[in-house]
Amino acid sequence: MPTSAPNAMVEPLLKISGLSAGYGKIGVLNGIDLTVGAGEIVALLGPNGAGKSTLLKAISGLLPRTGTVIFGGRDMSKAGPREAVNAGLVHVVEGHRVFTQLSVHDNIMLAGYGMRGAELAARVEEALAFFPEIAEKRNDRAVTLSGGQQQMLAVAQGLVRKPRLLMLDEPSAGLSPVLVDRVLAAAAQLRDAGTAVLLVEQLIEKALKLADRVYALARGSIVLEARTNEDDLPNRLEHAYFGQDVSAPLAS
Amino acid sequence: MTDTAASAPARAGATSWLGKLEGKLSWILLGLAGLALPLLDDNYIGVIAQRAYIYWILSAGLNLVVGYAGQIAIGWVSMLTLGAYTTAALAAGRVGTEWHPYLALAAGGVMGAVFGVIVGLPALRLRTFYFAMTTLGFATIVTQVALAWKDVTGGGVGTPGPTFPWPFEPGWGFYYFCFILAALATWMTANIGSSRYGRALVAIRDTEVAAEASGIAKPKLLMMVFLLAGALGGVAGGLFASLQSYITPDAFTFEMSVLFFIAILIGGRGSILGPVLGTIILTALPEFAAPLVQWSTFLYAVLLLAIVLLVPGGIADMLDFKNRRPLTQHREIVPRTELLKRALDRTDGKHSIVLKDIALHFGGVRAIDGLDLEIRSGEVHGLIGPNGSGKTTTLNVISGYYKPKTGTMKLDGADMPFDQPHARASYRIARTFQTPRIVGAASVLENVMIGGTVHGQATFTEAMLSLPRNRRDEKLLRQAAMQALATVGLESLADVRADRLQHSELRFIEIARALMLRPAFLMLDEPAAGLSTEEIKRLGALIKAISREGAGVLLVEHHADLIFDICDRVTVLNLGKELAAGTPAEIRAHREVVSAYLGA
Amino acid sequence: MLQSIISYGLAVGAVYALIGITYNVMFSASRVFSFTAGMLGMLGGVLGALFINKWGMNAVLGFVLVLGCGAVLGLVTEILTVRPVLKSIEQHLYVLSTLAFALMIQQVTAIEYGTEAYPFPVLIPIDANSMLGIVDQKFWLPVLACIVTIAGLEFLYRRTLIGRAFLAIAEDSYAARALGLPETRLRLASYALAGIIGTLAGFTGAQMLLAFIGNQAILNFYGFVPVALGGMGSNRGAVIGGLALGIFQQAANFLVGGIFAAVAVFAVFIVVLLLRPEGLAGSAAARRV
Repeated sequence: MPTSAPNAMVEPLLKISGLSAGYGKIGVLNGIDLTVGAGEIVALLGPNGAGKSTLLKAISGLLPRTGTVIFGGRDMSKAGPREAVNAGLVHVVEGHRVFTQLSVHDNIMLAGYGMRGAELAARVEEALAFFPEIAEKRNDRAVTLSGGQQQMLAVAQGLVRKPRLLMLDEPSAGLSPVLVDRVLAAAAQLRDAGTAVLLVEQLIEKALKLADRVYALARGSIVLEARTNEDDLPNRLEHAYFGQDVSAPLAS
Repeated sequence: MTDTAASAPARAGATSWLGKLEGKLSWILLGLAGLALPLLDDNYIGVIAQRAYIYWILSAGLNLVVGYAGQIAIGWVSMLTLGAYTTAALAAGRVGTEWHPYLALAAGGVMGAVFGVIVGLPALRLRTFYFAMTTLGFATIVTQVALAWKDVTGGGVGTPGPTFPWPFEPGWGFYYFCFILAALATWMTANIGSSRYGRALVAIRDTEVAAEASGIAKPKLLMMVFLLAGALGGVAGGLFASLQSYITPDAFTFEMSVLFFIAILIGGRGSILGPVLGTIILTALPEFAAPLVQWSTFLYAVLLLAIVLLVPGGIADMLDFKNRRPLTQHREIVPRTELLKRALDRTDGKHSIVLKDIALHFGGVRAIDGLDLEIRSGEVHGLIGPNGSGKTTTLNVISGYYKPKTGTMKLDGADMPFDQPHARASYRIARTFQTPRIVGAASVLENVMIGGTVHGQATFTEAMLSLPRNRRDEKLLRQAAMQALATVGLESLADVRADRLQHSELRFIEIARALMLRPAFLMLDEPAAGLSTEEIKRLGALIKAISREGAGVLLVEHHADLIFDICDRVTVLNLGKELAAGTPAEIRAHREVVSAYLGA
Repeated sequence: MLQSIISYGLAVGAVYALIGITYNVMFSASRVFSFTAGMLGMLGGVLGALFINKWGMNAVLGFVLVLGCGAVLGLVTEILTVRPVLKSIEQHLYVLSTLAFALMIQQVTAIEYGTEAYPFPVLIPIDANSMLGIVDQKFWLPVLACIVTIAGLEFLYRRTLIGRAFLAIAEDSYAARALGLPETRLRLASYALAGIIGTLAGFTGAQMLLAFIGNQAILNFYGFVPVALGGMGSNRGAVIGGLALGIFQQAANFLVGGIFAAVAVFAVFIVVLLLRPEGLAGSAAARRV
């Protein structure tokens, strides 16, 4: 278990409180409180339909929401995705949605849209260096990549701006186990470089191995918050998943 | 109606009775004004009124196309052109012998009907803009042909319009002719609008997929409507040719189309009275505000933009005071499962749907990969699994939206076709949707009645003429819908516009709509999503009761506790395959299932 | 006869193709087909004649000013008719909002300028006996404009970051937003670009089609046919479809007469849409449920 978690939670990098969001009339999230410290990896787990992806979208401003989002000491409650990205809060959405008609290189360039030429070029190279197999295909159109390579490309896009917090939505979906490890290893590397990661993941064991802390989400509410080195975590997670103890959020 | 819920429906009944009188009153006033207008003995006003009637005859049909069915037919002036030239050319003997003017007018109507269907055909396959462009293109072409086909149309010089002999000779005779035809057009289209055909059109407009699942066959219905709208447009054209007494292609500008269109939009979609008033106002306004004439089309365009951006509901919405009264807060949904006995047919024996070896791909992704599934009467069958495991896809295969690559699907041992979603209703397979698909602009009761569309007996023509069979259909559907609403516990909201309800209420309305089929099978797609814990309990009890009354239920759900509470059998999907199947207890203990969920 | 079919057909076809591209540029950025495409084409001719003939401007200045007006109209279209509708639930209302705006402009033009067809000035003084004068400029100007536009768009999409951002938004605007691309500004830019291309079509085609308000409806329809044939969003398809349409129309005009030509084009349009709604070159539609 990694134990390099930050100890003093003086000023968390991301602090959201009372966050609610949904689609039209359907409320999905009700009053979420959550923090991520600088340089910390936090896993966000929960059964299907719990609202994990919705929560990431609400944080990055892709979905309208109510409640407060404080990032890096700044109130970003009203900010859209563009402001979030510029502030260093980057969201890699689920389903490796890269631009299939553009080359690998151009896909990564676009993630740094607005940055200056020389700096952008250098950052693109750095991002590509994380994933040699897509670096090889830099001039191929993204449509020729496999699903796993597209996912790496999506993560590489997220790295271009050297975010302070990277939110990854199911980066392992559709990847072979080897590739999953590669993608998750990149997340660990990032943490070592000081980037915090908020990770939504289906592969719980892998997520727990990597993360410092974990939140479990069920039915739009946080039902569990714990450090990953606490005892009895798997059992408590299972309870949270299958809804036996939903009404009483387990302490942290 | 039972006494527990008597007060609310009684109040609703009172308002609808008043509403009916209000509605009737405006029609009576309009009719009297029309009949009495000749007393003014003002020819100028008479001509304006005739033009308004003629425009309305076309707009009445177009209203069904645009206001009800939601098809953006912006070039409908072409029907006016066609009808006018057909009537004029035949009556003047430009094609063969001279026709009697009344016969020529009828021929204009037939011509309009034929081309109404031809222009309408693309609407079956094309979405909004393409269809709008088709009608616009047709209008452009018709004008070009009218200019070029000099033998028949007189080209740019034009051709004289027909003069109708007694009893509708020019002057007030012709006035009454237009008045009677306009009244007839109003009556017929209003009958359609208030019948199950009208509700079906609105359902196609607002929630096409749910309309199909309720057994509404869009092609046939739309063709009837386009035929009627074309015929009315053609007749209007014949009258227009007579009113103008001389027609050239210049007389049929695209701006007229816009006038018709705006009259309908101002009036409000899905209303008859609103568009009538809209047509009268728009026809008369430029006449009484002479300086505006030059700018009238510009103002129409500004009006169109303003309506679209500011009040998409039109006048009808603004005047809909009934639906601005606040609803009771803190409403509770209390299903009354004891009423299910009447809503469902327990006596009709055991049925089963059996899926064997179903496989389905989207692009390169295997959505379902060799699935076997059996749904039986009287059981709740749960279908669970991670996102993208193929649950909803399975449901869509059964309801006929997706055609699998391999596999068989049998209902009681006989093959069931893989496509034709609208045919599922006749097998009595009902469903709900992940996001409730409801006609927001219709009342709750009308929404539920849509579910029973296939039980109606009356034909389109019977409905148009409000013959007895149609009136009986309406009565039965209304009763059944009230009963279904009482069963799910929402009868007090029957007259409320559906878009005013809460999300959880919409979920129960979908179930009431599904019950209208007296389903042998009911498929529910995440019915508990967005519901409170208490509501989920009541939903569970309702679902269980439905199955105990003999229906086979397929339940796709994420809420594990609901699944384990009410299911008789559970199938767990993963990556499009069955991971496990059995009783809830077996599944709960199944190590692989737990790990599929926990990802260990 | 053959020569006039080809020269006239290619020239008209190039105008249709450019209007088709105008539709496409707006569609790619917003998934909206805007009825302002034909209006832009009409205005290219009318404003050109107004600036150069009536106000006596020099041709180059008039040309630049016309394209500038097109860009401004493009911006207004986006702000007034597209942006509010994209926010609303019933997004197909764009059909009506763009139509209303196009009609407003058309009516103002009709009142201020008139409904007659006016001649358009000869732009480039060329000796009819010189090399360039072999083919009348009214025929090669639209073709040249079409070639320049296609080359320019190729350069934009393949060589510049902003062009790639246009492509990204066209393919997946949600992912583009998540990446932090300035979607609204890019959409505005696309509409301005479409305004320039649309007025360019009208300006270069006006010696042939005249400065005529009636061109709006005709260009709206005949400019959309190549889009329907070539697949929405495909500029290559629009060019091929536009040129083919122009030649077919002229050939039919000469050989069997105008009535047949008009009816045949419409019939082909409907049949293609019914059999292949995604266009002859497009790919199949997405899922519904």
